[in-house]
Amino acid sequence: MNNYKIDDFSIDTLRIIDVNKLKLERKDSGYLFAEYEGKSYEEVSLTRLQPFYCLDAYISVSFRNNEEEWIEIGVIRDLKEMSGEQRQLCEDYLNFRYYIPVITKIHSIRDNRMGYLFVDADTTAGRKKIAINDWWTNFRINNSGILTVTDSDGNKYQIPDLNKLDGKSNKKLELFV
Amino acid sequence: MNLKISLPKDYSGNSEEIIFSLPFDITEKGKLTKGHFMADRNKMYVYGEKGREKTFEIKDFYSFEVFRQSGSSMFRGRRRDNSKWELFCCFSQTHYIRFAELAKILDFYVKTGELSETSDTQEPNCPKCGAKIEGMAECPFCAKRSGTVKKLLNRMMRYKVPFFAVTALAIMSYGANIIMPMMYRQVVDDVGIGEGADLSLFARIAVMIVALSAITCLFDFAAWKINIRLSTRFIRDLRKDLFDKIQLISMKSFSRRTSGEIIRRLSEDARVLQNFMTGNGRQMILNVAALMVLAIIMFVTNWRLALMVVIPLPVAGWAAQKIMKRIGAGYQRWWRRTCDSSKYLNDVISGTKVVKSYGSEEREIERYKGISYKVSKNLERAECTWYLLYPIMRYILAVGEMLMLYFGASYVMGMTITLGEFVQFTGYASMMYGPVYWLIQLPRTLTQAMVSAGKVFEILDEPIDLSESENALKCDIEGNITFENVSFGYTAYNPVLKNISFEIKQGEMIGLVGHSGVGKSTLINLVMRLYDPTYGSIKIDGTDLREMSSESLHSRLGVVLQETFLFNGTVMENIAYSKPDATFEEIIAAAKIADCHDFITRLPDGYNTYVGEKGYSLSGGERQRVAIARAILRNPKILILDEATASLDTQTEKQIQTALNRLIKGRTTIAIAHRLSTLSSADRLIVLDKGKVAEIGTHTELMGRKGVYYRLVMAQRSTSAMKETAEG
Repeated sequence: MNNYKIDDFSIDTLRIIDVNKLKLERKDSGYLFAEYEGKSYEEVSLTRLQPFYCLDAYISVSFRNNEEEWIEIGVIRDLKEMSGEQRQLCEDYLNFRYYIPVITKIHSIRDNRMGYLFVDADTTAGRKKIAINDWWTNFRINNSGILTVTDSDGNKYQIPDLNKLDGKSNKKLELFV
Repeated sequence: MNLKISLPKDYSGNSEEIIFSLPFDITEKGKLTKGHFMADRNKMYVYGEKGREKTFEIKDFYSFEVFRQSGSSMFRGRRRDNSKWELFCCFSQTHYIRFAELAKILDFYVKTGELSETSDTQEPNCPKCGAKIEGMAECPFCAKRSGTVKKLLNRMMRYKVPFFAVTALAIMSYGANIIMPMMYRQVVDDVGIGEGADLSLFARIAVMIVALSAITCLFDFAAWKINIRLSTRFIRDLRKDLFDKIQLISMKSFSRRTSGEIIRRLSEDARVLQNFMTGNGRQMILNVAALMVLAIIMFVTNWRLALMVVIPLPVAGWAAQKIMKRIGAGYQRWWRRTCDSSKYLNDVISGTKVVKSYGSEEREIERYKGISYKVSKNLERAECTWYLLYPIMRYILAVGEMLMLYFGASYVMGMTITLGEFVQFTGYASMMYGPVYWLIQLPRTLTQAMVSAGKVFEILDEPIDLSESENALKCDIEGNITFENVSFGYTAYNPVLKNISFEIKQGEMIGLVGHSGVGKSTLINLVMRLYDPTYGSIKIDGTDLREMSSESLHSRLGVVLQETFLFNGTVMENIAYSKPDATFEEIIAAAKIADCHDFITRLPDGYNTYVGEKGYSLSGGERQRVAIARAILRNPKILILDEATASLDTQTEKQIQTALNRLIKGRTTIAIAHRLSTLSSADRLIVLDKGKVAEIGTHTELMGRKGVYYRLVMAQRSTSAMKETAEG
């Protein structure tokens, strides 16, 4: 297979951020403040480019300009490259933005046979009764075996690895995934 | 909507003064917490786990918003002194709607000084289970199954005469069958054998058996004939009602479902219901009645033997339930895999061109092999369990049969009963097993029918949010359009258009300009009344669209979209779609104005050429011209052009533009075009920015203002210049 080099194309190349030059601060606005290469940015947000697979790598850093458009400053290749305090700040922000409790145990799944499911489960946010509309769409396992759930309010839940779930929970899930 | 849900545990102030109090559940570090956001007339308070954390003066803010993110939301206000946002609290999406409502109320308060202490908005959650029920007639999680059965029975009552006729005929036919074992008893007991045999009695019984068989055949034939009529009427009416409803529901409801899902409800679910109502429903009445009659006859004939037959039934029922549960699960797994397979096929077959052009046939073959293996494996497992059911049932019931035969034989030998009575009894016992087997698999059939009924009634019972009032005005519109403080969002609390007001005069050509995603297409969707505004009103010639008859609006509306949709029919049928009673000459005239007459004459079958599925046998430019001809034929007063030339090359665009210019003449036109140069002939331009009207004026006026429009034009000019340089 021919490997292409991104530099071969006369387009904007992926701008990897030199984390040593990046300084982030948490602001009262709910966003971050950033200084990078001599420029400062208000209202900075972090986005996981692969929120299912890479929680700590490939994090896009963007800011909101006066036109209220989000402009990318660059991409952090891996949070591990950052200093302890800066890394913690990023992780806190990402944990807040991608607040997705993990399902740890399934007590029961009730199917009302009209496309709706009621899942009684233990999650990292406590025991929840998760109501799901149109479960074919909102209760699905992707190609990498991660189960993603979106409830009727729009809350998201995940089971990152079905194999780590206990046998009884897996048996209950079996019918729906 | 209740906006004073609860107060913090340690709150010691005057709770009467608190107007709003909502709980929140996460911190800005994504950790779980228990907090409250409260507000009185002047101040806002944030309470965390350790008591009051922050206090704000409401007057220090001039705007409030709730910002929804991937997994959480935040409630913020914008400060008057430095225009910076201040975060109040963060929460999971469970609290989103209440905070959004609160933000709306506070925003209105700081802008107008009027504080609405209560919210008229409907409660977003089911009071029983807490699930979101926005826009639904009843909570889908709490809706009782009996409700669906009742609706189904009500629907069946429309056909009560043929339904009961069929059932009565089937019962009569079964009744004739029930008499048969009595005849056999007479043959055994009364005809006798050898020289003393009463042959004339035998002949009479034989004639009666033949006659009864003939009557049974007649009843069965009559029952089937009526049943077929009933069945076709049932499905025809059901599909018609569904289709009618689908045409009436708004785009908002329509876009909640995929077209495949809607087609499935029309075809598959309707068919399941047809089978159930006209086949299984009748069969159920028949089998239950047969079982009762047979049991009565058997108990009256010999209660001891009857008991032998009946004893294994509860065991059989219990075993059947267990096996059915496994079967249900197996079939559900198989059904999931077939869905995966259909989805995959749909994907790959629609994308055949891409597959072939990247040479990935082998890879796709391998993937399909894997998917189809899973389908067959799951089906195999489900079917194996299914075929286990009948042997097990037969075995359990055979125990009863054996007991009955043993004791029956001993009764005959002990002269307690005659041989004929015993033959009659065994006849009834064997007749009973048919209904028993049938009733055992009933829960599965019933479940399938209830699933389909639920899906069908969900559409049939859906409220029509774009309903036309009985007093809707019928008028001939002229083409003056007014937007008065129009706000709209596809989902509540997420407005795409905010407080839009402008007027368009009859015959004016308006260009709608703005960045992509700014709400241009949404705005024209509102003019076409595919949706109603959330707030404000749209008027045509002074009449609110909601008060105008749909026919008045749509008969004078012409639309040319970027993606032209042609129906699978001839060119002529597609042009005439906007005016089915148009004469052929009118069609040709429209085609000439739209510059498509010439290419149509070159098509192999002229105006009768089939355009193929979605019109794909024509080129993009040709399809677009057919669409323009379609719009011309209607002679619209209001014309909507949504990126009508965007997907075409420059040469074709020029040709189409000529056709469009002819079409626009004298009509109120709203045009959206990505290439601003195509709007050069517009009388005025309306520039949208961030969901609001940013500027209105002519090209020259707006260029002079050096605002949003100026920047858009400049950005496009520099892109064109770059292109020209690149092309040399």
